[in-house]
Amino acid sequence: MPEEAITTKALTKTFGHFTAVDGLNVGVNKGELFGLLGPNGAGKTTIVRMLCTLIEPTRGTANVVGYDIREQAAEVRRQIGVVSEGVSLYKDLTIEENLKLLSTLYEIPRPKAEARIRELMDMFAFREKASRLVGALSSGWAKKAMICAALLHSPQVLFLDEVTSGLDPQSAIALQDFTRKQCDLGVTVIWTTHYMGEPEKICDRVGIMFAGRLVQVGTPNELKHSVSELAMVEVETPDLSKVQLDRVKLKLKAMNHVCNVKYVHSKLQVSCERTDTLAEEVAAALFDVGARIRAISTKDPTLEEAFIALTGGEEEIDRFLESSG
Amino acid sequence: MSVATFLSDSVAVAENEFRQFRRNRSAILISLVVLPLFFTISLGAGRGAAGTTFSPTADIPIGFVDNDNSLASLRLWQALTSSPDFHNLIQSYNEQATIAELGTKRIYAVIVVPKDFQNDLENGNQAKLILYTDDSEPGVSDQIQSTLTSYVQNFDPNVEVQPHLSQVQRQSVAGVGIVAKGAVFAGFNIGLTAVLAIVQIFAAFYEIAGGISREREDGTYARLLVSPIPTGSIVLGKTLFDILLCIIRTFTVLGISVYGYGARPSTDLFTLLALSLIVALVTMGIGFVAASLKLGQRAVVIIEFFLILFLFAFSGLIIDINLLVGITQVIGNLLPFTYAFDALKRTILLGRPLLSLTFDLEYLIGSILASYGIALVLLHVSRERLIT
Repeated sequence: MPEEAITTKALTKTFGHFTAVDGLNVGVNKGELFGLLGPNGAGKTTIVRMLCTLIEPTRGTANVVGYDIREQAAEVRRQIGVVSEGVSLYKDLTIEENLKLLSTLYEIPRPKAEARIRELMDMFAFREKASRLVGALSSGWAKKAMICAALLHSPQVLFLDEVTSGLDPQSAIALQDFTRKQCDLGVTVIWTTHYMGEPEKICDRVGIMFAGRLVQVGTPNELKHSVSELAMVEVETPDLSKVQLDRVKLKLKAMNHVCNVKYVHSKLQVSCERTDTLAEEVAAALFDVGARIRAISTKDPTLEEAFIALTGGEEEIDRFLESSG
Repeated sequence: MSVATFLSDSVAVAENEFRQFRRNRSAILISLVVLPLFFTISLGAGRGAAGTTFSPTADIPIGFVDNDNSLASLRLWQALTSSPDFHNLIQSYNEQATIAELGTKRIYAVIVVPKDFQNDLENGNQAKLILYTDDSEPGVSDQIQSTLTSYVQNFDPNVEVQPHLSQVQRQSVAGVGIVAKGAVFAGFNIGLTAVLAIVQIFAAFYEIAGGISREREDGTYARLLVSPIPTGSIVLGKTLFDILLCIIRTFTVLGISVYGYGARPSTDLFTLLALSLIVALVTMGIGFVAASLKLGQRAVVIIEFFLILFLFAFSGLIIDINLLVGITQVIGNLLPFTYAFDALKRTILLGRPLLSLTFDLEYLIGSILASYGIALVLLHVSRERLIT
């Protein structure tokens, strides 16, 4: 059985009457890239902050590389690197100055620190920008600088909280590749995101968070297969009026096995429990309201669809997002 | 954690503060140039500029009755009116009528030259000057008596001042308290006591409370909190850097005061630096407490405004603390700045040695320890609030 780098037991955080994280039980293996997927306000950042010892849990316990986050917070901090919204570098210092400050705080001997800084500067192609102030860097480079800082002391666990938000697609892909390599080197990574496509591409396992609860954990494939009784029909039907769409939605939702209906870019997407007659039923509903059908296809659910199914459907998510502001 | 690591972390924080500061032109300008210059020049200009001598009795209206009408009494009149201490002498001829004016606030004292003043001087006898004073403003009688006594001793050692105090109803709200009875302060000394404290308080509070508020908003405070550095090292590091700024500011204020406005502090540089540092440390402690309350930059500025208001109103800077009533006097007695001003006055104006100010020093050092202790507890307890 693989050794766990992070173990949480009934980890709970409440802010007043609001429960941000509700009884989290999860184990993350050493060297694993573990994704926490959920909409804004689902509790991902609160989990990261508790595991980073920035905030204390209200109830429950957690261990990070064998250290209790309450009792051995200082030891935990030595073992982790954090890139998170709200954890920044000094804008009036250069990258090198920021790294030198951190190397002192992490008690890295000077020669070793200098070698490590050079290594990271080369790794992230920072040499030319070494004398630039962090405040003068673009958001992509600033994020790279923060990752440099998080890696400086060679942490065993790396927390990357919404790390690709605000990055251009190329930088985001490069960062994903880099993170994957870190895991191959034995670093455990917690990757939180609300972009559904990311964990599917890079994560070993994904935990789906919703309203403070961990709804399901598994590999991306396991999660998709957990809703494999779902099927999706996509119908290309141009010029569908709002009246027609509302009538189709009513008809389809009247069918017990239909879970979700969406109309995006002239395509009607219907997910429902797998039946042999689904395509015919959808086509019939469209014909009934006088809609034209250009193409029709069926496909397996994506992680996004699995997420929607596991969290109770789009309406439930909309209600949650409204209530969480 | 070892002491060496704790100190090394503190020094790293102090160096970090220095690196940021040297790149921040507006911070350098405000903290080291604008603040010291603004307060020193404002108060210096108000006091009458360079080379002037300030005397607390100079502008007090005092009656002068010459019953001797001799050459000696004429010389005394001329000497007094040409001195910097008695600019507002009013010559009168009717002794009783002039004494009756006491307590009306038209005059505060009457100097009477008795008959035989010249004869006594010529015969080597003790010549008397009679000084009638009221006590309508606290401390004024003592001030006038003391100044006149020291002055006539220089005029002729055989002249003796005989005081007569007329008790009149004291006003409940008085004006400016006399800062040190019996002393005549050269140049800008009084201004220096105020400026030294005001500048340190103004700057140190914003540098600490505003600095942490800015770090919190920028996310760099959270960056420190996810590293193994203890809160104590953050506090000590920021304090060390601010001590450096405090020393520079002290020299700036002293330089302008001495060379620009003729201040001649009756104490040594070490005492001035030590007291400046103590004032700054008290303020820094309060700044750390304020920082633990998760204040935004705007809130820090508003609190600073109230802090300065308290300083001016209740700490004896302008109004003698004994004249405050009820809750205001309680506040005044609790404010550490009251003791800081007292210590500054006693050293700069009266030349008392620093270590003789036992109570002031005990109260100030106690305040520093208490404020830093409270700040450390609050920063630890509100760690979570400060990053969310």
